[in-house]
Amino acid sequence: MTTLIRAELLKLRTSRGTLGLATALLALVCFVVLLHGFALPKDFAVHGRVADGQMKVFGWGELGALFAGLLGALSITGELRHGTIRPTFLATPRRSRVIGAKVVAVGLAGLLFGLAAELLAIGLGAAALGLRGIPIRLDGSDYAQLLTGGVIAGALWAPLSLGLGALVRNQVATVVGLCAWLLFIESLLIGQVPGFARYLPGAAAAAIGGATLMGDVPTHPSLLVPVAGALLLAVWAALAVLIGIVSTVRRDVP
Amino acid sequence: MPTDRTVVDVDSVTKRYGEVVAVDNATFGLPAGSITGFLGPNGAGKTTTLRLLLGLSEPTSGQALVFGRRFRDLDQPMQTVGAVLESDDFDPGRGGRDHLRVLARAGEVPEERVDAVLDVVGLTSAGGRRVRTYSLGMRQRLGVAAAVLGEPQLLVLDEPANGLDPQGMQWLRSFLRSFAEGGGTVLISSHVLAEVAQTVDQVVIINHGEIVADSPLAALTSKRVTLEDIYIDLINETTA
Repeated sequence: MTTLIRAELLKLRTSRGTLGLATALLALVCFVVLLHGFALPKDFAVHGRVADGQMKVFGWGELGALFAGLLGALSITGELRHGTIRPTFLATPRRSRVIGAKVVAVGLAGLLFGLAAELLAIGLGAAALGLRGIPIRLDGSDYAQLLTGGVIAGALWAPLSLGLGALVRNQVATVVGLCAWLLFIESLLIGQVPGFARYLPGAAAAAIGGATLMGDVPTHPSLLVPVAGALLLAVWAALAVLIGIVSTVRRDVP
Repeated sequence: MPTDRTVVDVDSVTKRYGEVVAVDNATFGLPAGSITGFLGPNGAGKTTTLRLLLGLSEPTSGQALVFGRRFRDLDQPMQTVGAVLESDDFDPGRGGRDHLRVLARAGEVPEERVDAVLDVVGLTSAGGRRVRTYSLGMRQRLGVAAAVLGEPQLLVLDEPANGLDPQGMQWLRSFLRSFAEGGGTVLISSHVLAEVAQTVDQVVIINHGEIVADSPLAALTSKRVTLEDIYIDLINETTA
């Protein structure tokens, strides 16, 4: 299994898609953090807390989880699209092992995406506020939550989307579905039916890091506590991976 | 060194897609050390049969075995069977050499084999380039390189002659000969009869999913009867 994981990691390293996604993520984080860093009103507060208001600047590192999701989805749908899935399964006919190795590889890559995005958002946000002479009100526990949240959400969203991609198979449909779900459907649901929507995977990720994938402080007090969010997201990821494995093993390879 | 050992054993295999019967109760075997041409018109069921043999599709009934086992039950698949199904199963953004490195790692093949097979197929200098920049002939050869990476005993090639120029075809022929002389078995599907006739010693002909001939080439043809005559007759008889 270790050699299979190493093969999947090499696949990620030698794919242009990985580099493209990482570049796009970091560029996007730079853009939105600097934009909000220079536009944030001086004493902007959310829930009466200036620190929460400043999350408008620092919270954007959660974008790492979205891009980790894209990476996870591409890691399987890219193989289906280019046909490399055939040599892959000829080398390893036990298909569940391939998906398992991919889970670990994209989980690691997603973790790095989350970490890099959070570190960049914190560093740039601090620089922007520092230049404007605004004291930063985040404390150690805020930073810790952002970092652990970004890392955990990245590491779990990648396998979750991998499972989804293995089920859907079509690359465009998977990526569009993923983005529509995270950026649109869930934010609508959390506004309308928060009591139900807080259990959905995007809301679970938001609960861990204290910021939504759109870099906001969750405005609904109904969100789960971080630990519960992490466990719930892990359950969602495990479920998606399981569905992905079953649908890959049961169906013929295209 | 041909022996009597059966390398490929397709036994009463049927594959249905809904109402369509792609392969209909097909049975044939390949002796070790043979080069077998798997012939038939487009859509006859050649690719489906090869996919069933390689574990990419599940037969509706019957079983297809390599070295007496289902492909997915092989301990070292890359060291046992090498296959090229499509000529373009590559990530266009990945280098040819990296494509092979990934497969070597997955199949537990020593990394040195990557440069060895690049040399065999004449892609050493192009190995660092992205596959996007490769010609069709180069992609065919990269596919063959991936297939022989694990030094398999059986080579399965689906329509490898498609898109090959005369030099490429000559290269493939001599490559297959030397592979078989080294004790390897080859199953090569094609509808380019002229090319196959020069290379193979066995033929299996399939039409409408049914095997209509399975014989040594020498037993079918003679000075006056070519493989093409036999083929056209068989296809016409079984299409009516």
